[in-house]
Amino acid sequence: MSRLIACWMRRVGRCTAALLVPLLMVTAAYGAEVGSYRGGRIDPQAPAVMVVPQGHNAAAFYDGVRRSLYAPGVTSIQTPEANVLIQSEGNTWRQIRNGPITVWGGWLILAVMVAITLFYLVKGTIKLHEPTTGRKLLRFTVYERLVHWVVAISFVLLALTGLSLLFGKHLIEPIFGTSVNAALLWVAKNVHNYTGPLFGFFLVLMIVRWAKDNLFTSVDWLWAKKFGGLLSGEEIPSGRFNFGEKFWFWVGVTVLGLTITVTGLILDFPLFGQTRQDMQLAHIFHASAALFMIAMAFGHIYIGTIGSEGSLEGMKTGYVDEAWAKQHHAVWYQEITGRRQ
Amino acid sequence: MARMKFVCDAERCINCNGCVTACKNEHEVPWGIQRRRVVTLNEGQPGEKSISVACMHCSDAPCMAVCPTNCFYRTEEGLVLHDKDKCIGCGYCFYACPFGAPQFPNGASAFAARGKMDKCTFCAGGPGENGSEEELKKYGRNRLAEGKLPLCAEMCSTKALIAGDAEVLSDIMRERVLRRGYGAELWGWRVAYGDGKQAQRGQRVHAPEKP
Repeated sequence: MSRLIACWMRRVGRCTAALLVPLLMVTAAYGAEVGSYRGGRIDPQAPAVMVVPQGHNAAAFYDGVRRSLYAPGVTSIQTPEANVLIQSEGNTWRQIRNGPITVWGGWLILAVMVAITLFYLVKGTIKLHEPTTGRKLLRFTVYERLVHWVVAISFVLLALTGLSLLFGKHLIEPIFGTSVNAALLWVAKNVHNYTGPLFGFFLVLMIVRWAKDNLFTSVDWLWAKKFGGLLSGEEIPSGRFNFGEKFWFWVGVTVLGLTITVTGLILDFPLFGQTRQDMQLAHIFHASAALFMIAMAFGHIYIGTIGSEGSLEGMKTGYVDEAWAKQHHAVWYQEITGRRQ
Repeated sequence: MARMKFVCDAERCINCNGCVTACKNEHEVPWGIQRRRVVTLNEGQPGEKSISVACMHCSDAPCMAVCPTNCFYRTEEGLVLHDKDKCIGCGYCFYACPFGAPQFPNGASAFAARGKMDKCTFCAGGPGENGSEEELKKYGRNRLAEGKLPLCAEMCSTKALIAGDAEVLSDIMRERVLRRGYGAELWGWRVAYGDGKQAQRGQRVHAPEKP
């Protein structure tokens, strides 16, 4: 058994690495691009002070100032970073935000929506194979449901307001005009900034509560290999949470959720001496992680509502029917009832 | 139509901060906001240079490109102005601007919410009626509508900072360079106005070349 788990952990490790490495490479590439122009910092390779050439090739010097190759300037103005004459990373951030984040992010969200719609049209709702028994099993306690729904509702609010800040200019403004878009976005920004910390707090509570039940076990491998039977229609046994739920929990909720929370707090509370570069980097990570999380959340919301019969009931009332438990979570059913199928 | 620009001649600026004071006073700019500032490079070293910097009213303005509400607009004179009624205080223009021009009032507020962005208007006010009380309160004085140039440049004691029609400014600078034999490199010019074709193409500023 322990060998099986060890083997399983290695496999999970490989899969996670395969997924995370490209993700990390993309973010590292962003980071390097912005980081290389870090303003107000002295490049160790360059002399601390470079004398402006008198009358010759001052353009080269100003280009160096622009790329922050020399010591920062001096000014009597007391506002933060006032001594930075020019910060080119601002334009780098603009190109990343208006470029890959807006364009790829938009296509990602659209592609996932289309894929799920097609899946629903082709496969339809996963029905219960056996009639409901009327015997109910406690699946989620009141505390779990409370935490889940606070996170869920705040997530939807944050996703809608966040997406409107990114795409409102391209979707709302052409139809309703600048004034309507500006008024909506004013509301969106405030809702986003005030809901964010609430989401982060309850997200941590949720992670703590469900971490143990989301640890990977040997049965998950079969689920992952057969993609939960989503395509074949067969039912794969699983514990309290199946591999799909665990993947969403660790990659979506934990890694992406915490990334969004931490970077969101940096952006939301600019009170601790954050520089413009800190804000640019925080924004890039925040927006990228949020777009991935929204894309994954579509799948979670789909399978938790219209995608699977009886799933929503568990999170709504806390109880699921025995027939549902037997079909979707056979191992869990066996654990809590002590009965074999 | 004239294309309005700022030029700071680094060979002339003496870091007196007269432009900063003139701007502050003329527009009654709130505490914590500096629409114009003077930065000194190589302070105390041979070749020390001071440069007065504010909004450069870029041909391809990054602030304009990232604003989620499109509150920025370009006037016929090529000035980049903004509408405070549409500003939501997200701070994106502040992250994007190379020159540190857009700034936010930082008063005591819940969740550190930013107020409406404030920046140099080239003494051209904002949207709405020229010279109105509302315009004065939100954007400062509209000198351009009165046929006057920005006060910072008008009050510059060494005429290092000049403002106005790009063609006139070019002639002045050309004459200066001819007389003293050097110093044609205008700081910030290429970033803000590109290679001269930017305005027509409306394209982004080129990324800096690698050394």
